[in-house]
Amino acid sequence: MIRRHTTSAIVMHWFNAACWLTLLGSGFALMSNPAVQPVGMWWPGLWEWTIGAGGTLTLHIIAGLVWLAAYVVYLPFHRSEALSFLREIVDISLVRDMSWCMGKGLQLILGKSKSRELGPKFGLGTELPPQGFYNAGQKLMAVAVVICGLGLAVSGLMLLVLARQAGAETALQLLLLFHFCCAGTMAVLVPVHIYMAALAPGEGPALRSMLTGFVPEEFARHHNPLWYDALPQGEPSPER
Amino acid sequence: MPKYIMLVNSEKCMNCKACVVACQQRNGVPYGHYRNWIKETPDKASLNGRHYQPGACMHCDSPLCVDACPTRATYKAEDGSVRIDRERCIGCGGCIAACPYDARFKNPLTGTADKCDYCARSSASGLPPACVLACPTRCRTFGDANDPNDPVAKILAANKAVYVKGTGQDTRPTLAYLNRTLPMDWPRRAEVPVSLAAIGTLSSAVKLFGGVVLLGLAGVFLGNLRRPPDPGAGHADKGGKP
Repeated sequence: MIRRHTTSAIVMHWFNAACWLTLLGSGFALMSNPAVQPVGMWWPGLWEWTIGAGGTLTLHIIAGLVWLAAYVVYLPFHRSEALSFLREIVDISLVRDMSWCMGKGLQLILGKSKSRELGPKFGLGTELPPQGFYNAGQKLMAVAVVICGLGLAVSGLMLLVLARQAGAETALQLLLLFHFCCAGTMAVLVPVHIYMAALAPGEGPALRSMLTGFVPEEFARHHNPLWYDALPQGEPSPER
Repeated sequence: MPKYIMLVNSEKCMNCKACVVACQQRNGVPYGHYRNWIKETPDKASLNGRHYQPGACMHCDSPLCVDACPTRATYKAEDGSVRIDRERCIGCGGCIAACPYDARFKNPLTGTADKCDYCARSSASGLPPACVLACPTRCRTFGDANDPNDPVAKILAANKAVYVKGTGQDTRPTLAYLNRTLPMDWPRRAEVPVSLAAIGTLSSAVKLFGGVVLLGLAGVFLGNLRRPPDPGAGHADKGGKP
C-alpha cells in the first residue's frame, strides 16, 4: 500500500464536503424568490419547514464562518501540504489533459471497448494518456474549487460586513451576483465529482484512500503512473 | 379575506408632521430616517397657497420591490399589505432601488430594509397605525376595503380615489388620495437592479446545466450497469501504462 493522503488532508476533505453541501443547500434555500430559485420552490420550502427561514440564514452564516475559521487554523500549520496541492493542480499539460478529458468522456458515454475503437477517429489514442498525482478531471475540479472557494469566501465575508452599511447596496448586489456565480459553478461541478469519486466503476480504492489515506500500489501504478514513477524508490509509504 | 388600505384626504393636511413623529416613536425608526412623509407643493386653489400631501409605502398590488427581493423577505401579504420579514432580509437593498416612491430605507440598527407596515407590531392589539391616530385633522383613514361596513369602504364609495403613479409605470398602488392631490408626477422610474435581475438569468443557466449534468450522470450510471464488464481493460483505462 502507498500513502496517498495525509490525515490532515483527509480531515479537511470531509470537512470541506460537509461545509460545501451545507452552504450550497442553505444558500440555494435562501433564494426564495421564484425568479432566482435554481432548484425549485420545494427546496426553500423544505428548509423553511425544518429550520425556518431565519434559521437557514443563520446556519448559512455560521457554516461559512466555521469553514473560513478552519482554514485560518489549518493553513499556517500545513503550508507545505497546501502548496504541494496547489502545485499539483496547476501542473497542467494542455494536450495530455485535454486528451484525457475527451477520452474519459467518450469512455463514460460509450464504454471502454467502443471508446477504444472510436478514440483514434476523434484524434485520441486507444488508451488514456498517463496521469500524475491527480488526473485531468480532478485537476479541473480542484482549480474550480480553489477559485470558487476563494470567491465565495471573500464575497461572503464582504456581504456579511457590508450588510449593515448604508450606501453599500450596489456593492452588495454585485457581490451577491458574484457569490451566486461561484456557487452556481460549484453546484454544477460537485455532482460530477461525487459521481466520479463514489459511483464510477473502478474508483473504490480511490474513495477508500480518502478514508484510510492509502491506495494499493497496483492501483497507483495504473491510475497515476507519472506520480508513481516519480515516487522515491524503496519507500513504500511516501507522505503526500 | 381583508384587504387593508390607507385613504388620505390631503386637502385636510396642515403639515403639522404629527404623523411622521408618531410613526418614528411607535416603530423606533432611527434618527434621520422616516417611514412616512409630507410633500409640499405650491397650490393656488389652497387658502395658504400650499398643498400638503402625506404619503408612505403605497402597498402596491404589483410591487416591484417584491420582484427585486432575492430572498422573498419582501412579500405581498394576504391582507394586501407589503411586508418585510427581517429574518430573511440580507440587506442587499434591491427593494430600495426598485421602489418608485422611495418609501424604503436601510435601517442602520437592523441592517435590513425598512418601511411602513401599517404598524404591524401594534396592530395585533387592535391599535390603528400611529399616523392615523396622531393626525389632528383626521386626514388619514385605515381599514378593510373588502368590508362594506368599514369606514374605508364607505369613504371610497362616496369619493373619487386618486392614485399617484410613476410615468409609464403602474405598480398599482393601494394608498388612495380622495378626489384631488398634489403633486402627481413625483414617483421615479424604478427597475429591479441589473445585478439582481442577472441572478435570475444565471439561476436559469444553473438549473439547465445542473439538470443536464444530473441526467447525463444518471444515464452514464445506468449505462454502466447494463454494460458487461470489460475483461481486458484492467486499470489501463485510467491512464496507465500500456
